[in-house]
Amino acid sequence: MNKNLTVQEMFEKQPKHHLAIILTILVIGSLTLWSLSAISVPAISEGGITIVKSIFKALIDPNRDWLFTLRPIGIPQQMLETVAIAFLGTILGAILALPLAFLSSRNITGRFYSFIGILSVTMIRTFPVFVLGLMFVRVTGPGPFAGVMTIGLASIGMMTKLYVESIEDIDKGVIEALDATGANTLQKIRYGIIPQLSANFISNSIYRFEINVRNATILGLVGAGGIGSTLIWAMSAYRWRDAAAALWGIIIVVLVIEFISTRIRRKLASAE
Amino acid sequence: MIKFDKVGKTYPDGTVALKEVSLEIEQGEFVAVIGLSGAGKSTLVKLINKMIGVTKGTLTVNSIEVNNELKGKRLRKFRRKIGMVFQAFNLVGRTSVIRNVLAARVAEMNFVESLLGLYSKDDKIKALEALDKVGILEKAYSRADQLSGGQQQRVALARTIAQDPSIILADEPVASLDPITANQVMKDFERVNKDLNITVIANMHHVDMALKYARRVIGIRDGNIVFDGPSDKVNEDLLKEIYGRNITDEDIMFKDEDEAEQIEF
Amino acid sequence: MKQNKLNFKQWFVENTKILLNKLTVQTESVRTYTLLDGTKVIEPFSKTPIIAAILLVLSIISWNVTNVNLGDLISRFPNFFSILYQMTDPRWAYYERVIGPMLDTIQMSFLGSLIGALLALPVAFLSASNINKNKYVLSFARFFLSLVRTLPVLVYAAILTLAFGFGVFAGTVAIGIFTFGILSKMMYENIETVDLSAYGAIEATGASKPKAFVTSVFPKITPAYLSYSLYSFEINIRYAAILGYVGAGGIGLLFDDRMAWRRYEDVAILIIMLFVVVFTIENISRYLRKRLS
Repeated sequence: MNKNLTVQEMFEKQPKHHLAIILTILVIGSLTLWSLSAISVPAISEGGITIVKSIFKALIDPNRDWLFTLRPIGIPQQMLETVAIAFLGTILGAILALPLAFLSSRNITGRFYSFIGILSVTMIRTFPVFVLGLMFVRVTGPGPFAGVMTIGLASIGMMTKLYVESIEDIDKGVIEALDATGANTLQKIRYGIIPQLSANFISNSIYRFEINVRNATILGLVGAGGIGSTLIWAMSAYRWRDAAAALWGIIIVVLVIEFISTRIRRKLASAE
Repeated sequence: MIKFDKVGKTYPDGTVALKEVSLEIEQGEFVAVIGLSGAGKSTLVKLINKMIGVTKGTLTVNSIEVNNELKGKRLRKFRRKIGMVFQAFNLVGRTSVIRNVLAARVAEMNFVESLLGLYSKDDKIKALEALDKVGILEKAYSRADQLSGGQQQRVALARTIAQDPSIILADEPVASLDPITANQVMKDFERVNKDLNITVIANMHHVDMALKYARRVIGIRDGNIVFDGPSDKVNEDLLKEIYGRNITDEDIMFKDEDEAEQIEF
Repeated sequence: MKQNKLNFKQWFVENTKILLNKLTVQTESVRTYTLLDGTKVIEPFSKTPIIAAILLVLSIISWNVTNVNLGDLISRFPNFFSILYQMTDPRWAYYERVIGPMLDTIQMSFLGSLIGALLALPVAFLSASNINKNKYVLSFARFFLSLVRTLPVLVYAAILTLAFGFGVFAGTVAIGIFTFGILSKMMYENIETVDLSAYGAIEATGASKPKAFVTSVFPKITPAYLSYSLYSFEINIRYAAILGYVGAGGIGLLFDDRMAWRRYEDVAILIIMLFVVVFTIENISRYLRKRLS
C-alpha cells in the first residue's frame, strides 16, 4: 500500500522537461522564420552554374606552373609569405598578451587591475581582423608587414584569455618557497610562475599559430600581404585555374600545419 | 643563535597567535615545536625568517634584528641564510628535480644570469651535492612530479641545503607523508643537522616523530610556551599539559607499536 | 673598480662558453659534473637550445620575407593612434544606417549556424570511430571534414557570391559550410567519448538497432550538441560581420565603405554596435550553455 503511494508520488515528481523543450523549439522556430523572412533564395542563374562548374573543373586541374614555380609570384612564395606573417604575428601576439594576461589575472593583481586588463582585451577583440588590417595598411603601407601587425593584434584577445586561465590556477606554494630563499619579484615570476605555465603557453601559441595561418590567407584582400590578394585577383578576373592553384596552396599548407600542430600539442599534453 | 625576547604576534584581524615568548636556540640544535593546531607553533617558526612579521618584543637571528626595518634587499639577503621546507613541498612539478634545487641559487645570481637561467658549473655541482646528501642523486634529471611524496620532500630539503643555510625551518614537513616515508625524511633532517651543523626548527603535529628525532622540544599552548627542554624529559603528564587533553591516535603517526618497531630495522 | 671589470670579463667568458656549448655541441665533457666524493653525474642532452635555435632561424626568415621595418613602424605608428583618436568621437546619428545590415548579419549567422548544425550531426556519426566501424568511410569522412575546415569563411563567401550573386544568401551558405566543418569535428570527438555499453544493454532488451541507438546515444550527446551549436552561433557573428567585404551581405559592406572613405567616426559606431550585439549574444549563449552542462 505504502509502496504504491511512493511509486505514484515519484511518478508525479518526475522532472518536467516538456516546458523547456517546447520553449526551446518555439524560440528556435520563430528565430528561423524571422531569419528566413529576410533571406530570399535566389534562383541560380545560368552564369552562376557555369561559374560553379568552372571552379570545380579548375580544382581538379589547377594551374600547375603557378602551383610549383619558385618565382616571386608563384604560389609557394605567396604561401611562404602567408606563413611568415602568421608566424611573426603569433610571436608578436604572444609577447603582447603576456603582460595583459598577468594584469588580467585576479590572483596576481587583484580585482581592480584584472578588471582593467579584461576590459582592454575586450576592446581590442571587438575590432574585426580586416578592419585592423585596413588600419595597419594605412599605418605601415600595404604589404606583409601590415599583416604581421594585424595578426599580432588580432591574436591578443584569445591568447590573453587562455593565458589567464592557466595563470589563475598556478600553485602559489612555489612562490612562497622562493620568497623564503630571498628571491626578488622578477626572479619569483621567472622561476615560480613561468615554469608552471610554459607548457600551456607553448601549446596555446601553437594552436593560435594554426588559426593565424588561416587568418593570414585572407589578409591579402585588404592589401596586408599573403596569398589572399592573388586569390581575389584571380577570382575577379575569372581565372579559375589560377584561383584553384591558390586554393590548393592554402589547403595543402593549412593541412600540413594542422597535422604538425596537433602532434606537437598532443605530445605536450601527454607530458603533463 | 636565535633569540626571542618577549616576542608576540597579533594578526590584523585581532587573533593573538603568540602572547609573550622568550627563548634562545643555539647553532646546531634540532628543535621540534609541538602543540595543538592553532596553538601558534606555525607562527613561531614563520617569524624567524619574517614570512610573518613580529608585532611585539624583539627577535634576533644571528645578531640581526628581525623587525619592520628589515625589508627589501636586506630582507632577501637575510633570508638566503635560512632555508625553509613546507608541508606541501612547493616544488615546480613540471620541471626537473635539479632545476628545482637550483632555484635556491637564484637569489645569489645577477639579473642577466637569473633571467636566462644560466647556472654556473659550481651551482650545478652544489645542487647535485645537495641531492646526494638526501640520497636521491639518481633522480636529478627526472621531472619533480614523477617522484613520490617522500622523494619530493627530500628535493625540497636539498633545495634548502643548496642555499648554504645556517638554519632550516620546517613547517609540518612530514604531515602529508605516510609513516614510513615520514621516518625516512626525518632521518634526512637528522643527518643534515648533525653533518652540516645546521640548526633545524620544525613544527610538528605528530608527537612521536617529534620526540624521536628532535633533541629539544618546545610545547606551545594558546600562544604561550608551556614546556621547553630535552626531548627525553617529555612524559605523558607534560603532553597532557601541552595538549590540554590525553594524547589520541590523531597525534601520533604510528598507531601500532609493532609497526614502529619494524621501521627501526 | 679594476677588480670588478676583471670579474665581469671572467663571468662573460665563462657564460659565453656555457652558452656556446649549449647551443652547439653539448659535448659530454661539458655535461659531466664531478662531485666532492668523486661521483660523476652526466647531465642529459637538452633539446631546448636546439628548439630555440630553430625558432630563431624561422623568425629571421619570416622577418626578411615580411619586410618588417622597425624604423617605419616607430615613425609611422602615431598614425595608428590618430585613427584611434578619430574613433573616440563617434557620429551617433549613423546608427540608423547600421540597424538593417546588422539584423542581416544576425540572421545570416543564425540561419547559417542552424544549417551547419543540422548537417553536422549525421557526418559526425559517420566520423566517430566507435560508431562507424568501416575504416575507409571513416577516413574519407574525416579527410573531407579537414578539407572543409581548411578554407576560411571569407573564401567560401567569395566563391558563393560568384555563384549566387551578391547578398545575404551567399553569406548564409558560407557560414553554414564553416559551421558544418567545425561542429562536425567537435561532435565526433564528443561522440567518441560516449560509453556504448548502454547501447548494448538496450539492444539486449529486444529493441531494434535504431531504437536502441536513439534511446542510448542521443540523450548523452544532446547537451553537448546544443552547447556546441550555441557556441558556433556565438562566434559566427564575428565572422558574419566581415562577409560583406566580398559582397555577401551584412555590416561588412559598411565597414569596407566607411574605412575606404576614412569616416572613422562612423567606423566607431559600427564597432560599438558590433560590440553590443556580440556581447549580448555571447552572454545569453554562455548562460544557456552553463545551464546545459
